[in-house]
Amino acid sequence: MNTRAKPVSRGFGTPELIFLLSVGVLVVVVAFPMLLIFFNAFWVDSHFNVADVLRVLQREETYQALLNSLILSGGVTVTGTIVGTFFAWLVTRTDLPFKATMKLLFLVPFMLPAFIGALAWKMLLSPRAGYINRLFIDVLGFDGPLFDIYSYAGIILVETMYLFPFVFIQVSGALERMDPTLEESARISGADLFTITRKITIPLVLPSIVSGALLIMLYSMAHFGTVAVLGVEIGVYNIPVLIYEKIHQSAGSFDSIRTATVLATVLVITAALILWAQNRVLAKGKYQIIAGKSFRPTELKLRGLRVPLLILCVAYIALTIVLPTATIFLVGGLKTYGLPFDLENMTWANYNHILFEWDLTRDSIWNSITLGLAAALITMFAGVIISYVIVKMKVRGKGFLEFLGMLPFSVPGSVIALGVILAWSGKFGINLYNTVWIILVAYIARYMAFSLKANSAALEQVHDSLVEAARAAGASMAQALRDVVVPLVRPGMIAAFFLIFLPALRELTVSVLLYGPTTRTIGVAIYTLNEDGETVYSAALAGIALVIIVVGEILIKRLVTGKSGA
Amino acid sequence: MRSVKLLSLCFAVLLVGGLSFGACAEEKLYVYTSMKESMLGGLKTAFLKKHPDVKIDFQSAGAGKLMAKIAAERESGKILADVLWTSEVPDFYQLKEHGLLLPYIPAESKALLNPLPDYDGSFTAARLGTLGIAYNTRLIKEAPKTWDDLKKPAFKGAFGIANPALSGTAYMSVAVISRTFGWGFFEALRANGAKMGKGSGQVVDDTASGDLVASLAVDYITLDKIDKGATLQLVYPPEMLVVPSPAAIFKNSPNIEAAKKFIDFLLSREGQSIIVEDGTLPVRADVKIPDRFKQLPAVEDAMKRAMKIDYQAVMSEKEATIKKFTEIMQKK
Repeated sequence: MNTRAKPVSRGFGTPELIFLLSVGVLVVVVAFPMLLIFFNAFWVDSHFNVADVLRVLQREETYQALLNSLILSGGVTVTGTIVGTFFAWLVTRTDLPFKATMKLLFLVPFMLPAFIGALAWKMLLSPRAGYINRLFIDVLGFDGPLFDIYSYAGIILVETMYLFPFVFIQVSGALERMDPTLEESARISGADLFTITRKITIPLVLPSIVSGALLIMLYSMAHFGTVAVLGVEIGVYNIPVLIYEKIHQSAGSFDSIRTATVLATVLVITAALILWAQNRVLAKGKYQIIAGKSFRPTELKLRGLRVPLLILCVAYIALTIVLPTATIFLVGGLKTYGLPFDLENMTWANYNHILFEWDLTRDSIWNSITLGLAAALITMFAGVIISYVIVKMKVRGKGFLEFLGMLPFSVPGSVIALGVILAWSGKFGINLYNTVWIILVAYIARYMAFSLKANSAALEQVHDSLVEAARAAGASMAQALRDVVVPLVRPGMIAAFFLIFLPALRELTVSVLLYGPTTRTIGVAIYTLNEDGETVYSAALAGIALVIIVVGEILIKRLVTGKSGA
Repeated sequence: MRSVKLLSLCFAVLLVGGLSFGACAEEKLYVYTSMKESMLGGLKTAFLKKHPDVKIDFQSAGAGKLMAKIAAERESGKILADVLWTSEVPDFYQLKEHGLLLPYIPAESKALLNPLPDYDGSFTAARLGTLGIAYNTRLIKEAPKTWDDLKKPAFKGAFGIANPALSGTAYMSVAVISRTFGWGFFEALRANGAKMGKGSGQVVDDTASGDLVASLAVDYITLDKIDKGATLQLVYPPEMLVVPSPAAIFKNSPNIEAAKKFIDFLLSREGQSIIVEDGTLPVRADVKIPDRFKQLPAVEDAMKRAMKIDYQAVMSEKEATIKKFTEIMQKK
């Protein structure tokens, strides 16, 4: 830190004050909106009312939405887990060529927003006009489309492509950490590969598989974009989409907002069940995962399968990353949607229009970047202070603080957005509805948990003795914090910043419920342009968003690795 | 130490961002509209040339979004909008009922064609939107001539209508067609495999791509795509869907004089000539439709062929109509 010593107020050192302040922030930003949802769902005209809730629950559209959510997220969980586990095993436990590169490549789908993927696949696989289907019908003489993306299977397929890394990361981590001597001793005792896999490897990795699978399920339950892009046309919608339609149609009417609160409650309960299941699995897993210092695990020799499996991996990446991305950029360059990709039909005009001429899209890029920066900065600093209270201070009731902060981590984005609408649209004296501030408040609530996680992890590594030593040497608490603690946790803070900035940049689920005429985010602009039939502009903006995201990722990698050396 | 610089840079960006969020505080004429930005750009330039003293700002979004914003503004005590200009006629009747609109008979009212019943100046049609049948010329060789042609095998499985819950014009069309021809018409279309799409723009794009062979399509969206080279054509059956887009002044607007100037400009020959450049019908017979929009009928002709719209019924039966339509279109 530089020496421009800022005068720090005397009260800053008082743990109680910080504690109260953090509780205050979390209550106002996080707990209050959440509580309002339950309150509004069950409390009508100043009395407790279950009949209305039951009425909403009994509507066909409600349980249809719930059923669809379960079918879709269930399907995605199964396929995503299989794909993720398979590739994780392939890159950690076999002698696949270029393993390290492959491992990095399998993480790329994480960077791509799923709804942009959905747009791309719509262009590729819509039944009559999708480029792949056209190829099969027009050139190869098929009778009908190869695959209809507007279907349950289509939605599951697209979500799988972009969500499988949840399992991939968990499982490849577990496989790498696993103590290979366990398998070796089994082999020495005469067990064959099948027995080893069944009796040793799978039980050891199972907790990671299950917890990754539940992450996929949680994410997919709460996911808006893909279902909204691919499902609505065939009448398939999940709870977030139904909430969106209710809010969209409401034009401020309170009845639809209340219906949405009931739906949100259903969503929260389902998410809570999933998390509960995950905690049970993880608690059990603690006995089984043995985090031995990494010995190199024995690799399975793939022999003749080496090349075919490598081709499979490359094909998978080409199909799920390269093809959709290329489609997005190409369609973004078409004069109008539906023309063939001839050079004469291509133009830079769409990109030019979006970046330099069109207020709507320029605003959206500006909004997303400033919102992302603001949310990341605020949560980063608030997160440090709150984590400090949680990790280092001895104040009573800090468990409550931790609970509050982590709450939005498990709460779906549409629920947070709804809570924010209830809290900040004038009912309590402050009206932020349709301004950019309401999105900011929602982002802060949503991403606080990310910051708490990163900062607590960093703070836990700072031993108390350091602060005590500084205090003993005569430094004030503020000085000790500034000169000792903050420099040490800075990597955690920076990590928190980017953990929040990048997801916020491509966020759709929350902002689609909160945007106003001049406060579209990039996600909202892409989504509404697509809905308005401006497919080429939508694709061009999606292309620009992808460029921004990828450049952002690369910068972070640079920055974070550069930092650790300093 | 570099990270300190980085952070202060971020702060600076944030500060600038915050300033620009708050920078809209000065007095301006706010027009909330669902019209296309390309049209608004032309109007803004021409209006500023004529009235350099009036600062004008368009807030453009879907009609539903704008109404939600107005509802929120009303609740907080001050409607920021001075002028509302969308294609959701029922909204205007509702606002009028609540006494929020200022009746104003435009300066050149004599020259205007008025499609709205019980006209009292609370809102004045500023353009006439039409919906016709857009079809993909690669896939449909013989243009449909009547609404009943859509029941023919050529359109099997691939005629699209936008979702009336999402699109105001789609709702209006569904309401008007169902009242004119009865629900049997949509049942027959569904039996021929017609589909419900999403936004009213998206069905046109899906038609251009060939996902649909034809769709119930808004004029300017379709004509814009034809202009850009899409293999589309737009035709109108004898009974036409004509949906006016009214403009209205809010009673509590602090800029009433400026708002009146804007309405007058919008309805002047000059304003209407700009509107017509976008591929939609004017409300004046003395404004010529550009030659490149040869698909559009003359204004008087369109008014004559237009199906009657009972706005009161359209307003009160919205939920039931959407439900019925959705039921029919999602029947397996």
